[in-house]
Amino acid sequence: MSVLIIVFLTAVAALFSGVFEQGKFARYIGIFGLIIALYVSFLPEASFFAQYRHMYDYTANTALFTKISLVTTLLLFFLGGFAFSNHRSHQSELYALMLFALCGGIILFGFQNLVTLFLGIEILSIPLYVMAGANKTDLRSNEASIKYFLMGAFATGFLLFGIAFIYGSTGTFDLYKIQEFTITNPKNIMLILGVIMMLCAMSFKVALAPFHMWSPDVYAGSPSLITAFMASVVKISGFFALFRLMTIGFSGVTAEWINILGVFLIITLFLANAMGLAQTNAKRMLAYSSVSHAGYIGLVFFGMNALSTYTLAFYLFAYSLSTVGVFMCLIWVEKIKRETSFGAFKGLAKTEPLLAVVATISLLSMAGIPLTAGFMGKFSLFAQALTKDDNTFLVIVAVLGSAISIAYYLRLIIAMFFFKESTFKTAEKVTITYNIVAVVIIASLVILGVYPDFFAKQFGL
Amino acid sequence: MSYLLLTLLLLPLVGSGLVFAWRNTSSKYLALGIALIQMLLTFYVVSDFDFNPTVDSVLQYEINEPWSQFIKSKLHFGIDGMSLLLLLLTNILMPIIILSSFNENVSYKNTFYGLILLMQFGLVGVFTALDGLLFYIFWEITLIPIWFIAALWGQENKRLEFTTKFFVYTFVGSLFMLAGLIYVYNHSASFALTDLYNANLGETQQIVVFWFIFFAFAVKLPVFPFHTWQPDTYTYSPTQGSMLLSGIMLKMAIYGVLRYLIPITPTAIFGISGQIVIILAIVGIVHGALIAIIQTDMKRIIAYSSFSHVGLMVAGIFSSAVLTLRGTFTIEGAEGALVQTFAHGINVAGLFFCADILYKRFKSRDIRQMGGLAKVAPKFAVLFLIIILGSMGVPLTNGFIGEFILIKSIFDFNVLASVIAGLTVILCAVYLLRFYGKAMFGQGDEAVLSTAKDLSAVEFSVLASIAVFVIVLGVFPQPVIDMVSSSLKFIYTSMIN
Repeated sequence: MSVLIIVFLTAVAALFSGVFEQGKFARYIGIFGLIIALYVSFLPEASFFAQYRHMYDYTANTALFTKISLVTTLLLFFLGGFAFSNHRSHQSELYALMLFALCGGIILFGFQNLVTLFLGIEILSIPLYVMAGANKTDLRSNEASIKYFLMGAFATGFLLFGIAFIYGSTGTFDLYKIQEFTITNPKNIMLILGVIMMLCAMSFKVALAPFHMWSPDVYAGSPSLITAFMASVVKISGFFALFRLMTIGFSGVTAEWINILGVFLIITLFLANAMGLAQTNAKRMLAYSSVSHAGYIGLVFFGMNALSTYTLAFYLFAYSLSTVGVFMCLIWVEKIKRETSFGAFKGLAKTEPLLAVVATISLLSMAGIPLTAGFMGKFSLFAQALTKDDNTFLVIVAVLGSAISIAYYLRLIIAMFFFKESTFKTAEKVTITYNIVAVVIIASLVILGVYPDFFAKQFGL
Repeated sequence: MSYLLLTLLLLPLVGSGLVFAWRNTSSKYLALGIALIQMLLTFYVVSDFDFNPTVDSVLQYEINEPWSQFIKSKLHFGIDGMSLLLLLLTNILMPIIILSSFNENVSYKNTFYGLILLMQFGLVGVFTALDGLLFYIFWEITLIPIWFIAALWGQENKRLEFTTKFFVYTFVGSLFMLAGLIYVYNHSASFALTDLYNANLGETQQIVVFWFIFFAFAVKLPVFPFHTWQPDTYTYSPTQGSMLLSGIMLKMAIYGVLRYLIPITPTAIFGISGQIVIILAIVGIVHGALIAIIQTDMKRIIAYSSFSHVGLMVAGIFSSAVLTLRGTFTIEGAEGALVQTFAHGINVAGLFFCADILYKRFKSRDIRQMGGLAKVAPKFAVLFLIIILGSMGVPLTNGFIGEFILIKSIFDFNVLASVIAGLTVILCAVYLLRFYGKAMFGQGDEAVLSTAKDLSAVEFSVLASIAVFVIVLGVFPQPVIDMVSSSLKFIYTSMIN
């Protein structure tokens, strides 16, 4: 809770810093605030802040996911200086909105009440609607904003409807009381309807097919840094919220929703990977890749055990790091070429080897090649799902999905490495911050891939 | 913990880092030096090795360290006779492969040699890992460098298409193997080899696991319907890439079949699955050889010949496994396959290098445009002939003994099968002698022949060292058989229990 307060205060400070110097301080304020928040998140939480009237419950898992999203946001803030350097005005608002959205995410990590869940989702989403349209002169950015808003509003409707059904049948908003009710009355039709509605609403938020239609357009239209934020922090928040909701709140009626989720996953894995293969634009390809990763992460619900939360956290962290890694390369290319087709990346390795290497390692990590963090994450998910023989088919689908995915990840790597002539001028160099972030990401991905327990130790498990 | 094995593992990795970092045109000497040290270390291991172990000491030079508390997997490495043979093959071929590129003007030298050493790191890991997950990890590590080598230094046209096909194909196979290994892991206590062996899977479970894991090996070997990536990739890779792929990488799958597949899923092999594999392998033998006969591109001839030879090894391994499971304990087929693995690795690398030499002289890979080189290059003609005879399996060359044992082992399994498989000897003679005859004798283009030179010093040293192995192992094959028999007995005994 204290982390939430710090992030919120930072966001307010960043917002008001826009009064000075066209908001150049906002980024520094954000970095400063996030570092303090990260430091505080490693301290034991004072009992005064740990519980708030059965609305918010700051547990060890909350702390773990909060840390992951703080680290990811911090990395994105470091990249922000370069990414937003074209935005003459309104920079401070963008940084402040990112921090507000992060607040929403942190609320989601510890919700104990469906009202808090709703609040968290709205606080997370509304800044995103605005941020998606940050390039005001770009038509696609406007489209992204409107599309996201309309779809998001639709999902909110589903969510509220579901909450209403659940309140109607259980008479409570409290997650643990709902859990008790579902265990004693698993056959309540109204409850099941509510569960399915909420599952659909949350699938909208994490972009699980068939509720993913908004995501490629929104991802492609938004400014790239915002897209990276959506693909990483928003996905972490949405998934952990879904995880908490389904495994704590609705654990008594697992049999009723798990098959529906399984169908969603199968559609996601096939559709997203097949569509990813058809893309000619790197940013859209990454959008579909992000959808497909929602499919892999969904495997965590199958074969639940004591380590499931850890597996989820590890996968999400690995995925966020690699997302930042690819997007930092994409942002740089987009800045110079003003487009993000695969052709725009041709010969990047010649002029900016470090950038090409960080993107390559990130892509290999997303594909799940050993010695990267992504492999360990995928391995844990598959291993966990295969503890039950019933899930074999689902894992086969996931395996086929990752096999298809390697083909489109390779296209970006091929574009960066395998052309004799570079289409970049050697004069165009990236900033020192950029190089530092690249090294940090490479090191983290490799260390987590070689020695996965490092993660558990750093994040207090 | 054995520091010797640790050195063997880490030297190529550290070496590759050094070569990558040392942006200098002479980085090839550094790479060669590291590969030579690695070779000498391997020779030391051979001299130090206990060739007549008791049952408990099959594994030597063990490293067994804890790794992750969440994955029940350990950093467990060790060497037994079978590992030693493949280590020997890897570490002997590596300096030869590096040396073979010395005459060429390789672009981005440090990256090229760094990738080759990285590949060596992966291969040593594959052949010494005693833990299912580690095996998979190293298996995948070898894929990245070879893909970069094939795609970056391959033939300009079409290389991306074919190397991407290769990558995706093998990656799909590997992922299925991962799923299969995880499946076994969930029924055993950990990824440790002995636990995987004792997983106690039911019959249906074993069949599923068998095909999951076999798929990965079938793609890499390749076995009959999974071979379509192979000729293209071999053809369009640079010579060193083809040598690495066919000489060593393919052998990872033979090793994997023996080390993992056979002991983990005996019930499946006893059933129909084992026989299906034998049939596929025999179809591959004939299919590959027949296609090789009509090829005109010399690299494709070698690729299909490799495909055909591998079929024989697979058929041998599985026929002795099926026989053992039916009650007559025999490791002959597996012994033959391993002897052949070693011989074929050396021969095929030699053949690809000869093809490279021919390509440099004639500026074409089409054998119809060649001829008469024997007149101007007698040294080459002799060494090339030795390698060709080795590949054909003529007695007193290294190819003979393995082929002989393999065909005998298939004969014990089924007479008809051995007759069909035996065709490989005849067909192989047809396409290889035709290849040799076209290239070295007959009418050649006078303009080309007048400028063609005999072997340079580098080419001579590469081919001569290969020819020495061809003859020495042809005359004294027994040490190789002794090396592997105790570990094969161990594996086949684990299979029956």
